Amino acid sequence: MKYAKVTATAAAGALLFVSTGAQANGEKPDYTAMTPEALAEYLIFEANGIKLDQKTQEGATVKERQMRDELQTICSGGTRATLAGDDLAKVASLGRAGIVKPEGGVKLGDWKKGQELARSGFGFRVGHNNDDHSTREPGGNCYACHQLDPKEIAYGTLGPSLMNYGKLRGNSQAIIDYTYDVVYSPHSFFPCTHMPRFGANGVLTQQQIADVLAYLIDPASPVNQ
Amino acid sequence: MLNKRTFLIPLCLMMAGASAAGDYRPPEDVLAELIEKSGSLYLTQSEQNLMMMADNPASWTVEEGEALFHEPRGPNNVSLEGCDFGKGPGVLDGAYVEMPRYFADTGRVMDLETRLVHCMTTLQGFADDDPAVKSRHGSNSDMMRLQSYIGSKSSGYPWNPPLDHPLETAMRDAGKVLFNRRAGPMDFSCATCHSESGKRIRASVLPNINSPEEWTKAISWPAYRVGHQHVRSSQHRVRGCYWQMRQGQSVAGSDASIALISYWTDAARGQPAILPDMKR
Ligand code: HEC
Repeated sequence: MKYAKVTATAAAGALLFVSTGAQANGEKPDYTAMTPEALAEYLIFEANGIKLDQKTQEGATVKERQMRDELQTICSGGTRATLAGDDLAKVASLGRAGIVKPEGGVKLGDWKKGQELARSGFGFRVGHNNDDHSTREPGGNCYACHQLDPKEIAYGTLGPSLMNYGKLRGNSQAIIDYTYDVVYSPHSFFPCTHMPRFGANGVLTQQQIADVLAYLIDPASPVNQ
Repeated sequence: MLNKRTFLIPLCLMMAGASAAGDYRPPEDVLAELIEKSGSLYLTQSEQNLMMMADNPASWTVEEGEALFHEPRGPNNVSLEGCDFGKGPGVLDGAYVEMPRYFADTGRVMDLETRLVHCMTTLQGFADDDPAVKSRHGSNSDMMRLQSYIGSKSSGYPWNPPLDHPLETAMRDAGKVLFNRRAGPMDFSCATCHSESGKRIRASVLPNINSPEEWTKAISWPAYRVGHQHVRSSQHRVRGCYWQMRQGQSVAGSDASIALISYWTDAARGQPAILPDMKR
């Protein structure tokens, strides 16, 4: 899976980083001699801060999940308002590089399936009450952060309102392609955005993203009524 | 209910009288004052909770904790009056708002839960796997009773975690890194959801770590969680937010969890604690 691949490269970096602060003999290192970044990595990976051995739904362990790829590492250091231009440019290019388009181009899927995905917060939770992906597919949880269907009042506001998304923008192929990229890997347009990389991180499949796009763009979708 | 209230009122008066500095204030008064000052959407989001504050079911947990605290218990048959929470053995007034702190006897920065476990296992002699120590998550656990009682003795006191020892600063600074550390399939960090005021996840208004008036309520644990019908701890909240982030399970009492709590307590510095609180 895409996500596992991306983090594998980060793994080597994270381990190197950790070993500079920790002592080889297993004794507790001097925390005050470490940078805050090195101490934080040490506390997670070497000092039992998080249960690293637990299995994840993507078929690896929590340890891999806690490791960061380059984009996550840069974006941990600040926001679009505070990070240097070079860092943001790097993040945008990493974001772009992560996008994989469906063969034959992006098409709108089924808005009804997209609606289910937009509502569902199921998936990827571990530690206790693990989400079993064999019983139910993970959702996109769009409503956690966005307004969509005007009839749904329990919507979050961390992201912008997407009510009338298609009505306002039309349903041209350019809009469909752009929206696919935003859902797949939003950092290509908004470096260090809060929004998850649903495609690049393997949270939603290409088909599921097509269904979510239909929910946003299809003139028949309640989002555009 | 009636019984509890007639018991609690004189208790509150006594506590207010006892603290010459006049820091102790009942949680409902502290919250009312914060709301008047800031008008934050987060503080006011649950009208029902605000109405129920004076009848917070956690008051029972506090009372049970008070009895447990003073009772000789464990293999060594001693009370917790000999436990030092940072201001001397058995001194609880305003102790919790000055935690996490460095303890010379363990050489560690410890939060309330970790310190309590330390005293129960060393002073009272409980085994690590004794339910008195091990069971931590419900209103009827000894852990939540004791934490609720000890916490309540800091209600109204301003958060003031010490940063005199270099380890306290190191832990606070690492906690800040952990708070901002993005990882996992959702690319989330704590800051994703807790760095702006007035933002919502679905219908829940989120507290902003950059607003001390909001953040003091966010970190005022133990609190009765209405949705869970149980009193919950800081460590439980940390674990829950890692779960929501789709990251791994945080280990209670680990230095990582204590670092995070050091940072979040520092962020509420100067604002009065609401203890016990009520949350959604
Ligand atoms: C995906 C969004 C999200 C992330 C990321 C997140 N939280 Fe939360 N947090 C919430 C929600 C939702 C609540 C509950 C608020 C409510 O129910 O009103 C909450 C509650 C809290 C509270 C208590 C406030 C209350 O009223 O219950 C604290 C403290 C807190 N979070 C800290 C953290 C920490 C520390 C992290 C990182 C380990 C974190 N959060 C990550 C969404 C998030």
